[in-house]
Amino acid sequence: MFKHFFLSELRYTLRQPMVYLFFLIVFLLVFAANASDNVTIGGAIGNVHRNAPHIITTFTAVMCIFGLLFAAAFFNNAALRDHKYNFQEILYTKPIDRFGYFFGRFTAALLMATFPLLGVFCGVSLGTQISPVMGWIEPDRFGPIHLSTFVSNYFLFVLPNMLFAGSIIYTLAHQFKSTMTSFVGALLIIVIYLVTGQLLSDIDNETIGAMLDTFAIGAYNVTAKYYTPLEKNTLNPSFSGLLMYNRLIWITVSLVILAIAYIRFSFAERKTKPKKIKKATEEKIEVIKRPELTVVQESLFQQFKSFFWINFKNIYKHVTFRILLAFSTILLLADLISGFEYYGLQSYPLTYRMADAIDGTTLFVMIILVFFSGELIWRDREAHINEVIDATPHASLISLFAKTLSLFSLTLILHAFFVGLAILYQLLKGYFQIELSTYFWDFIYNSFPLYLATAMIVMAVQVMVNNKYIGYVISIIIIVGLDIILAIADIQSNMVRFMASPYLIYSDMNGFGPSNLGVFWFNTYWVLGSLFVLVLSGLFWARGTLNSLRDRLRNRWTKIAKSYKIGLLSTGLVWIAVASYVYYNTQVLYTYKSQEESELLAVDYEEKYKRYKGAPHPKVIAANYTIDIYPNEKRRSSVAHLQLINPYDQPIDTLLINASKSYYNEVIDFSNAKRVKKDDKHKVHFYVFDPPFVKGDTLEATITQDFHRKGFSNGSASTSIVRNGTFFNNFSILPSIGYDSGKILSNRNKRRKYKLPPKDRMPALEEACGPNCAKNYLTDGYSDFIDVETVISTSKDQIAIAPGSLIEEWTQNDRNYYRYRVDHPSQNFYSFISADYTIAKRDWNGVAIEIYHDAKHGVNIERMLDAVERSLEYYTKNFGPYTQKQCRIIEFPRFSTFAQAFPGTMPYSEAFGFVIDLEDEEQNNIIDAVIAHEMAHQWWAHQVVGANMQGGTMMSESFSEYSALMTMKKTAKTPMKMREFLKYNHDRYLRGRAVELEKELPLYKVENQSYIHYGKGSIVLYALQDYIGEDKVNAAMRSFLEEYKYTTPYPTSLNFLEHLDPQVPDSLKYLIDDWFKEITLYDNRLLSATARALEDGKYAIDLEIEARKIKADSLGNEQQAALNEWIDVGVFADADEEILMHQQRVKFTDTKSVVTLTVDSLPAKAAIDPRHILIDRVFSDNTKTVKLE
Amino acid sequence: MTLQLNNLSKTYANEVKALDAITIEISSGMFGLLGPNGAGKSTLMRTIATLQDPDEGSIRFGDLDPLTDPKAFRQLLGYLPQEFGVYPRISAEQLLDHLATLKGISAKGERKELVHHLLQKVNLYDKRNKSVKGFSGGMKQRVGIAQALIGNPKILIVDEPTAGLDPGERNRFYDLISDIGDDVIVILSTHIVDDVRELCTDMAIMNHGKIVFKGEPNEGIKELKGKVYEKHIRKDELEEYKQNFNVISNRLIAGKPVIHILGEKPDKSFKAIEPSLEDVFFSKLQANN
Repeated sequence: MFKHFFLSELRYTLRQPMVYLFFLIVFLLVFAANASDNVTIGGAIGNVHRNAPHIITTFTAVMCIFGLLFAAAFFNNAALRDHKYNFQEILYTKPIDRFGYFFGRFTAALLMATFPLLGVFCGVSLGTQISPVMGWIEPDRFGPIHLSTFVSNYFLFVLPNMLFAGSIIYTLAHQFKSTMTSFVGALLIIVIYLVTGQLLSDIDNETIGAMLDTFAIGAYNVTAKYYTPLEKNTLNPSFSGLLMYNRLIWITVSLVILAIAYIRFSFAERKTKPKKIKKATEEKIEVIKRPELTVVQESLFQQFKSFFWINFKNIYKHVTFRILLAFSTILLLADLISGFEYYGLQSYPLTYRMADAIDGTTLFVMIILVFFSGELIWRDREAHINEVIDATPHASLISLFAKTLSLFSLTLILHAFFVGLAILYQLLKGYFQIELSTYFWDFIYNSFPLYLATAMIVMAVQVMVNNKYIGYVISIIIIVGLDIILAIADIQSNMVRFMASPYLIYSDMNGFGPSNLGVFWFNTYWVLGSLFVLVLSGLFWARGTLNSLRDRLRNRWTKIAKSYKIGLLSTGLVWIAVASYVYYNTQVLYTYKSQEESELLAVDYEEKYKRYKGAPHPKVIAANYTIDIYPNEKRRSSVAHLQLINPYDQPIDTLLINASKSYYNEVIDFSNAKRVKKDDKHKVHFYVFDPPFVKGDTLEATITQDFHRKGFSNGSASTSIVRNGTFFNNFSILPSIGYDSGKILSNRNKRRKYKLPPKDRMPALEEACGPNCAKNYLTDGYSDFIDVETVISTSKDQIAIAPGSLIEEWTQNDRNYYRYRVDHPSQNFYSFISADYTIAKRDWNGVAIEIYHDAKHGVNIERMLDAVERSLEYYTKNFGPYTQKQCRIIEFPRFSTFAQAFPGTMPYSEAFGFVIDLEDEEQNNIIDAVIAHEMAHQWWAHQVVGANMQGGTMMSESFSEYSALMTMKKTAKTPMKMREFLKYNHDRYLRGRAVELEKELPLYKVENQSYIHYGKGSIVLYALQDYIGEDKVNAAMRSFLEEYKYTTPYPTSLNFLEHLDPQVPDSLKYLIDDWFKEITLYDNRLLSATARALEDGKYAIDLEIEARKIKADSLGNEQQAALNEWIDVGVFADADEEILMHQQRVKFTDTKSVVTLTVDSLPAKAAIDPRHILIDRVFSDNTKTVKLE
Repeated sequence: MTLQLNNLSKTYANEVKALDAITIEISSGMFGLLGPNGAGKSTLMRTIATLQDPDEGSIRFGDLDPLTDPKAFRQLLGYLPQEFGVYPRISAEQLLDHLATLKGISAKGERKELVHHLLQKVNLYDKRNKSVKGFSGGMKQRVGIAQALIGNPKILIVDEPTAGLDPGERNRFYDLISDIGDDVIVILSTHIVDDVRELCTDMAIMNHGKIVFKGEPNEGIKELKGKVYEKHIRKDELEEYKQNFNVISNRLIAGKPVIHILGEKPDKSFKAIEPSLEDVFFSKLQANN
């Protein structure tokens, strides 16, 4: 029986075109992602093979989510086909075997549900074969494909995932006998997946999240997060570890669900409970007379209203609507509760954060719009009431417009409901600064036009296509498919991507600017366009019983009312007018380049001007700026007077200048050079010195700019001048001199595509450093330490800030003017800022600590002042004096989330720090750490800065991060607290090296790779101070600083190691090689921890330990190294690992060893490297619960 | 006011000729359109109800031309289609209120009164707040007739209204229909002879898209007087009788076939009977076949 049902179901399904269609969809998507750089699935591929096991696994995992919808179709059909064709009564009366029927069908459906996903494997295989031959992708970016990858993916992901989806969908289908419910079930699974995905976002929860993830995508990602490129290229996912537990959990859950469903499954029709019949109370009613009707007359408004309500009620009461509403509510709540994380801290529930979370429900609203467009257009016909409606004398299009409006108004109600939820959440959190206007404008800019235009377009599609399901497909293509198609075609214009507009970001400081103008016009363009299409679709409106396209169109134009024609025509005209305006702004006023055009330009620049690379050019020795900021007019004008010198022996005769874009209206004037050539394509200007510019000569340069932003562009508007919170640095008002390697292609694969040689790497680390040490990595030879004076003005309500001390301030022409001068010659790297600020001040030994912040963001200011003060204390004591007279932290709008250190000034994004909820935190948290890091840059980067070569960033970023950790350590109450901070640095390093695109280098040769200089650098230095002592490391840094501060030539990392060497005892000298000069990892684990009670009441703890030291090369090839290490072992008093009751440093020479500790009381846990100061890819196995013998 | 159909023809894409040059005049009162399944009745009804255009021909209703000015005609029309479905999740009162609005009863108070009146008339007043979707077939059909009566129609088209109703519901339906004023044209299409016999003063029989008979039911019966004979036969004799006689109908009574033949009395085994409307129906169909 089983075999019979299994085979017949298989045969039936294989005759359905949908099987092949689904297969084709998956196949094409994967093939495109494999064979083209423009299409990505689950993230960019990077420098692993395009067909690496890791990539295939990612494809498979992502496609499983798509596959869910296919699965829903297969399982639903298998369960409901008999029911649908009313065949079940015949079938169920036959003597068939329950088991065979239930599981035969299920197994066949399961097999078929996995079939489309084989498209992943075919797509990758074909891509591997074809794209090198066709020349789309270079052959060496493909590796060998192993059948085992497909097999393990099939059995680890495809089959179990479809089993799980199937068990739920099949059960639902049998229980509810409704196709809709089955698809809702599929959606439910996706919601579960999304919610568990939220859990994964913090590394504290990732293990739980990985277990709960129904698709095991998270489990795999956690397993593979530290994979090196080599591992990604070779390792198949395997049935072990997290992945194994996850699979076991979900396979069990699936089987249990199926078993329950099977038990409940009965051949008898589901019994319906008899409804209680209410006794109709016989009310005596008077006979209602037929009313005398006043003249029957048409009221379009009344008709519209009636159509509106009857349709509105229909959706509102629809069970699908309620289920989708429930889903989106769950998703929103999950987002609200777990969202806005920043390194384990949460921000206050600011209104804009709420609004962002609400925008996350857009997907569901779009599903509602698409689904109900079909329902509404087809409901009259499906309910068989269309003939009655159509025979009444109503105006045809009233119904269409009323239906569209009822659909749209539901989105309004949904949105209002979500806003209500968000406000409730804010209140429950005790946050009362609820900004209704932010909710309102967010709605107006983001949701309202999107929902309105979508409602109109999907309704129009249903009317024109006149087939519900084809209508759905076309609607989905318009909403999502178009993006993919245009991405492949490399078309960027927002005028052809449905509802596309520049990216809008709200900032508490600046409101919705500066892209809001563009967003407004694009929204208007799309809403009007959709309205036009909707009105046009009226021509296709089906009224009556003959509805072929020919029938619908025949006579329609002649029968249609004049008012309709006027409406159609005028909507069209207004739309064309708006379209022309948008076109003018985005294609004429502001041009942009397609990706390919930008690439070609970069290639051309490199080919033309590469020969000027390294040509000597003058250095700036002094700078004077006059800057006028007009926030309300979106205008900024600047005059820069630079004094330059030729420091080189050879004379300079020509100068290559990279001028700014034309709308900056830049004028460059040199006192003794003339422009001889101008390349408009690359904005490259050539100046010739006559007579040549010889060593020691100086030269004056004046650069004026007048930037006035008008209109709007296709992409986001420049944020360098905004209404409140203008923030730009000196390089944006100065042209760059010489060959600009920032203008060339840097992506390795792109370079290969254009047959360019690999990009020059950072200059190699030199032992006896020559001319390369004359440049530092920040300014690259543009200047050294210079004096700067600035006169900056802004509007009356704002404060403008430039580097240095404020010398004078005055008001003139109703504007504020300020003159600033730097107190100590500094790096030519500083920012100019203007906004309406509140200033918090504190004096620390003559240094003015100032925090410029938005009036709304006052809550953490005292803590920030404390953090600055603590940094000043630690750094002046340990490293040397502070050279500026002020420390300014300046808030800037959240167009980006970072903090940056310029001499004496530290711009700090409003998105974190100012708005993070620190009420329950100790005086030691990530915000303090960020401030301490930026403060440390006042020494490490601004007093001493590395030469522009390998290892240069170690002395600024690694040192600053280390300094920050030390200020944290000083206030940390327990040694375990530091483990929490270090955890993020470990993660940053290990994740970073896993996605390295070029090659990993040892710390002392770091090539501006952030995972190395921040992540690894800070861990290594922290561990070093733990091994040799804080004072020793600080002494090395101090003496290094003393030797090199404010001097040229610039130091290299080797210079630092020279200072470090005398501080390290001989027994630990190997650490310098292991940690700075090589890539060293540890693989330590505690196999068991057994406690023995001793006679004196103490306990002996036997620790069975495995320790390995591993050296990796730049590609991640690993080799075990000889072990001769001092490593900590310790025991915790509590299971939460908060109280480290005892630790001692033990020398390990063998991989396996047993260490015995003696402690006073029985510990809960034991660990090797308990404070996690060594780099260990799997730290969780370092700890074990202590077992008492 | 009379309804005139001139030369109406309609051929569907699948070559079925649903209307074949139909010319007929219908005046006030109850008009029965009788025909077997597939005769083209519904096509004719829908064409009159402005739901689809004929390929050829014209329609006049008084001074009105429904084909070129459907809106004016729809204001005078009440229509109950063969398949009268209802929206889910909507009560009887809400449904009628909606349809009344569409028919131009714009004043809210009047509309409410009218809807209540009609609901009471079709004996559903106490169920006015219940979802129509849950009504029985007969109750649904009563809602159907209530909606058709909205706005004092001058012409009422009811397509196969009694199909699927039990005898009780059918009688209730007859009562409702027979209450409609004399100045209204009521076109009742049906394949059930009883409907016409009980209700109609005028009738037509339709087959293969053509009108094969038009007149008063009694006229048709009169024509057949003395020409219809009946005989009980055995099942295996049926074919033989069909060959030898003009058998217009055969049916089973208590499991035994009874045939009706048209013509002269062949022999004594045949019994002369009073012709019924059914005999008229079958004889006309047969003549057309």
